[in-house]
Amino acid sequence: MIVAIILGLTGGILTTSIITGMIDQKVRAGITNEISHIQVHNPAYLKNYESEFTIAHPDSISSLISKLPGVKAVCSRTRITGMAASPNDAAGILIVGIDPAAEKKVSGLYTSIPDSGGGYFTGIRKNQIVIGRKLADKLKIRLKSKMVIRYQNNDGNLTEAAFTVNGIFQTSNPAFDETNVFVKKRDLDLITGGDNGIQEIAILLNNIDLIPETEIALKTRFKDLDVENWMEIRPEMGFITSAIALEVYILMGIILFALAFGIVNTMLMIVFERTRELGMLMAVGMSKSRVFRMIMLETVFLTMIGGVIGMILSAALVGFLHQHGIDLSSVSKGLGAYGFDSKIFPFIKKDLYFNLSLMIICTGVLSAIMPARKALKLKPVEAIRVE
Amino acid sequence: MPNTQNLTHNAMNIIEIKNLSKVYDEKTIPVYALNGIDLSFKEGEFTSIVGPSGSGKTTMLNLLGGLDAPTGGDIIIDNTDITGLKSRQLIDFRLRNIGFVFQSFNLIPVLTAKENVEFIMQLQGISKDQRDKRTLELMNSVGLSDKINTRPNKLSGGQQQRVAVARALASKPKFILADEPTANLDSKSAENLLEIMEKLNKEENITFIFSTHDARVVAKARRVITLEDGKIVGDEMKNE
Repeated sequence: MIVAIILGLTGGILTTSIITGMIDQKVRAGITNEISHIQVHNPAYLKNYESEFTIAHPDSISSLISKLPGVKAVCSRTRITGMAASPNDAAGILIVGIDPAAEKKVSGLYTSIPDSGGGYFTGIRKNQIVIGRKLADKLKIRLKSKMVIRYQNNDGNLTEAAFTVNGIFQTSNPAFDETNVFVKKRDLDLITGGDNGIQEIAILLNNIDLIPETEIALKTRFKDLDVENWMEIRPEMGFITSAIALEVYILMGIILFALAFGIVNTMLMIVFERTRELGMLMAVGMSKSRVFRMIMLETVFLTMIGGVIGMILSAALVGFLHQHGIDLSSVSKGLGAYGFDSKIFPFIKKDLYFNLSLMIICTGVLSAIMPARKALKLKPVEAIRVE
Repeated sequence: MPNTQNLTHNAMNIIEIKNLSKVYDEKTIPVYALNGIDLSFKEGEFTSIVGPSGSGKTTMLNLLGGLDAPTGGDIIIDNTDITGLKSRQLIDFRLRNIGFVFQSFNLIPVLTAKENVEFIMQLQGISKDQRDKRTLELMNSVGLSDKINTRPNKLSGGQQQRVAVARALASKPKFILADEPTANLDSKSAENLLEIMEKLNKEENITFIFSTHDARVVAKARRVITLEDGKIVGDEMKNE
């Protein structure tokens, strides 16, 4: 019974840690490469994503934000919807004008450029563009290829310019890779012949847990701006995070439910095997409540031994795999299609172990009821003579 | 009428049985295991209940021990009619008044001899010091003071039954019911066990009631009650 609990629990926790690790990596990659912790916009911009709705005085706002406690880095972005065209194809895109140095402090996008994908923004050459692998494939262009981006400037005039593909990134989000292109804001302004303004200020915090208090501080300070955290910007990612937390408990619940049957079965066997002993105990004067408590305690004790060993073993296993990772590069294409990394670093929150302990105790207690009731139904006069 | 010769004139009755009957399968084909028994036991008796299989010996012991309920009649132990007790009261009554020695010893295999004796006192809520003291006394009185930390599987059948006797005495019961106590023992162990029980009876005035087929037990008993078809057909008091 103890071995069954240990194996069941270890298997459950390991499976959970792999799922949690996959999702956590996906969410972290999303925050690092795409969203950052908090974004600030002009509220009107978020209605139709029209680039004319810029943030007034972005430099002073960025400066103020960067001085807030817990803020690690801030960057400003120009965001304009437009078209990308190559001699082969065309696609709708979101042109993100950035200051590469500031962007690098907030976004880890540059780390998503593989060795074969060129570089981020190198040298002082004008009109460099960094695009996603998916868009490059769609437009059938390669590194150093020329592509044209077209967009409407703030005056309503159509503007276009040729850019050289300097880097091709590949994140865990294919949709992001297909629609986002990054250029230097300065190049964009030169093409437009004026300032395109700032539509977005992205903020990276020292710690994800600082989001609520920073968000409140920003909302209090910049009442006319829209302040959103990563879960509000990408609700599906927030949903995945909450869903996975629930899924963990459902999974462990199913495992413990299955284990409960094993525990009940084992304890019924124990009661059956010890019928004569139980009969003797009741005959000599052990009260029914004591007999009930004895079976309950024995079950919970055995369950807890299995539970504790199982959790220690799981913690060691998850810790080792978290350090070294699980290489699933053989199925990286399939994982990549769903936006997952090919190397998984299993991970589990510490509070899960505490909650699991409670779940195991509950399983032990609930599983003990039936065998304990069975023991109570024994008649001492018959039980003491069972061979 | 059975031949009765009372040798314990001064002792008081600790058990009185009035018109006791036990009927199995009452609604289909009634089987009278005991049929209108009237009997009394005095303090300090060393009594054997004998009779052929199915005569009602075990039923009698079960009823006396409060392990089974009679179909009719009363069992009065130390002024308490146990047939009127509720289940919980009966369990407590057994704990404080009756000692049991079973044919198959029924020791708890995972406990040592000392722990097997001690746990009854634990159920009674006796303090650790008192328990330790009494356990040692009892183990000594059954001649097993050197086996207190031995588990039952390391003891011979005779030694296990002696531990069972010590366990039965642990709660300081009014009397001890022993169901075929020598049935699973070789003759030497049986002899040894009987000597210990006889000594306890004589020196400490402990009342023993046996159900037995064993002629050696019958030979040692000072009172022999013979049952047949659920009725008393003999009740003999022997001279010392």
